[in-house]
Amino acid sequence: MSAFPIFHLCALCELGVEDLRIEFMITFSRTLLVGGEFLDEKTLRFHGILEDNIYAMEIHVDVEIPDGKIGKIRGEMKRYTTPVCPQAVSFLQKAVGISLREDNWISKVNREVGQRGCQHFAEILIECGRCLDSALMARAVEKTQAENPGASPQEAARAWVQQHPEAQGACFARPRGEAPRAD
Amino acid sequence: MICDDLLFSCEISSSLIHYPQLFLSERIFTGIPIKGTGQARRMTLIFMRNKNVEVESLADGNLSVSWRLADTFAEIEIRITFRLPDLEMISAEGRIGRSPHPECAQALPLLQKVVGVRVGPGVRKIVQGLLGGEKGCRECAEGVLESCNAVILHFTAPQIRENEKGTEEERKKKFQAMLKFNPRLARSCVAFADDSPLREGLNL
Repeated sequence: MSAFPIFHLCALCELGVEDLRIEFMITFSRTLLVGGEFLDEKTLRFHGILEDNIYAMEIHVDVEIPDGKIGKIRGEMKRYTTPVCPQAVSFLQKAVGISLREDNWISKVNREVGQRGCQHFAEILIECGRCLDSALMARAVEKTQAENPGASPQEAARAWVQQHPEAQGACFARPRGEAPRAD
Repeated sequence: MICDDLLFSCEISSSLIHYPQLFLSERIFTGIPIKGTGQARRMTLIFMRNKNVEVESLADGNLSVSWRLADTFAEIEIRITFRLPDLEMISAEGRIGRSPHPECAQALPLLQKVVGVRVGPGVRKIVQGLLGGEKGCRECAEGVLESCNAVILHFTAPQIRENEKGTEEERKKKFQAMLKFNPRLARSCVAFADDSPLREGLNL
């Protein structure tokens, strides 16, 4: 350990910070970032970035909103472990045509992009896919608030789930068969 | 709108001087009115998600994994302690800071179900069975599984660092030794596929 953190920690101890966990050290860290960009009414582009101690890679995937199908995808490997890894970029194209509305889309992505290509590309793509409903809900909430600035975001989100059966049944907070309320 | 377009044009011109390869990229067209519509492509995002997982080595030899999801709607944190050497989850706690649905707060007690589960073959099905599905919380299940994955990567990272040393041939041998030690890696990705040069001479 360098002198700087020791000095820094001692200074904190003098300030009364007693529960500082000086023996701890981060040994692995991963960040996965997804941004959802609406190119137009029918196309949602996800930008997915993975960065950790071992790997760094990025994908851009266009999803056709009406049916959830993956229309286009491209990716880049920035850091990887073997000289063979970059060949996995071409296997991203196996995802084109898979619908994020299919029951087994995660298994398909794991098999076609992950097992045949790279598991970490698959992880990014799956995270992008999981964001589909949330991104659409965010757009709906934004529209609701634009029309009615006093509208509650929670109510707008609830209303969107009630109007979209495809977003229901994923967990107990979004039960299946939740119909729009009369009020 | 006119001012915006002028601003973009200036940036693009400057980019072209320094990075001519951008000219071939579709990114060059962002912000420029879409032909025939008179509308500019919207570049601001209304949805973002950031997931982070960190592994800490504890003084008692165990591992503490901190997982956090923050997106436009939700903020969820999970902290799990893994006991070594059996990688059993001995404690799990969580916090939900924001959520689109008030019911999500009820998900936290579910986390206790994973205490006693070990990282190993079948853990994905076990955790999905305990936390996922219509009666569960998808984010909590993902958080626990991504924490388990981070533990595996915590052990993998030093080996990968070691594999980076030496000549190409030496590095290949190190990867092959890794495959022999863990044959489950075979056919798990393009690098360990049957026709991969890293599998040459290996019968797995």
